[in-house]
Amino acid sequence: MGRVIVITSGKGGVGKTTATANIGTGLAMLGKKVCMVDTDIGLRNLDVVLGLENRIVYDLVDAVRGNCRLKQALIKDKRYDESLFLLPAAQTKDKTAVTAEQMKELCERLREEFDFVVIDCPAGIEHGFKNAIAGADEAVVVTTPEVSAVRDADRIIGLLEAADINDPLLIINRIRVNMVKHGDMMSVEDILDILAVDLLGIVPDDDAIVISANKGEPTVLDDDSRPGRAFRNIARRINGEEVPLMGLDEKSGFMSRLKYLFKAE
Amino acid sequence: MAEQWSDRLTNMPTQLFEKSLRSGQHINFDGNVVIIGDVNPGAEITASGHVLVLGYLRGLVHAGAAGDESATVTALHFAPTQLRIASHITRPPDGGFSEENKPPEVARIKNDAVVIEVYSPPR
Repeated sequence: MGRVIVITSGKGGVGKTTATANIGTGLAMLGKKVCMVDTDIGLRNLDVVLGLENRIVYDLVDAVRGNCRLKQALIKDKRYDESLFLLPAAQTKDKTAVTAEQMKELCERLREEFDFVVIDCPAGIEHGFKNAIAGADEAVVVTTPEVSAVRDADRIIGLLEAADINDPLLIINRIRVNMVKHGDMMSVEDILDILAVDLLGIVPDDDAIVISANKGEPTVLDDDSRPGRAFRNIARRINGEEVPLMGLDEKSGFMSRLKYLFKAE
Repeated sequence: MAEQWSDRLTNMPTQLFEKSLRSGQHINFDGNVVIIGDVNPGAEITASGHVLVLGYLRGLVHAGAAGDESATVTALHFAPTQLRIASHITRPPDGGFSEENKPPEVARIKNDAVVIEVYSPPR
């Protein structure tokens, strides 16, 4: 039986879809059989980020309503076509097209087939959110180092607990090392101090994310990308490996690292 | 003793929470409230008696909500978004509370104003 993990945040634009695409792909790279589910009905994006938009025939609503068989709605990823699948959201309907009960049933069916079911949750705390978490047994909360995003993440963690999804894991996305150093951005410690949950990973802010999303190639596939490396580590941690957090300072040159060493003495 | 805890409030029922309150969660209780945990920004506590937070107070607290001006708010780390006691409403000074290590503090009404002082046990 596979694990059903919902990727959620409350606030929009913090990187839920990017995280879903990269975690899903990252788990497939580890040889796992993965299905990503886009529950953002009416505002689907996950297919675009994965570069699979033009292959959609049936969607989640079709599958849930029995307009097609579940297998027909699953899109094979172009890179890992035996192990990575996407169940796209419907674009011409809205969130009320699916009920929480139907989502639960869908997740039960998917977990029989896959090692991991990764659900991309819509922003907000209404119907779409409730649908997305209905069938999940674990949650990953994505936040950015902004007060508003952290506030919403806190709210979401409370709602997840109320729905019996305990001990969510946290991804802090878009950290900018220089700004943290100058005290202009919330640090990892500041965020953990408020949210009091376990950290799954830290993803540095990087142009590579924007480029890869626009190209439809998850950055996790790129060996040289720093966020890509962060997401590979996150996927390994989800898979149960112990991977140390990567230093945020790795980019800095040899001299500055030397200086840092002397300072530490 | 009498100055800190009025008899009426001492005899009120007290509710104990052994959990942090997150944004959007609220407690409404006719009596005193004790939180063993943090009160995060966006969380709200309304109590007709005292409120005691054994952790970080960053949210909104209303003590003495039924009008009792002897109600107090005590927290190990005092940094509420807004503080209300009876009909008094205060907010932190612009620039906020310092987040550094500081001793536990207590807020109460003195001379018709909300005063925040370092907590000292009643003698």
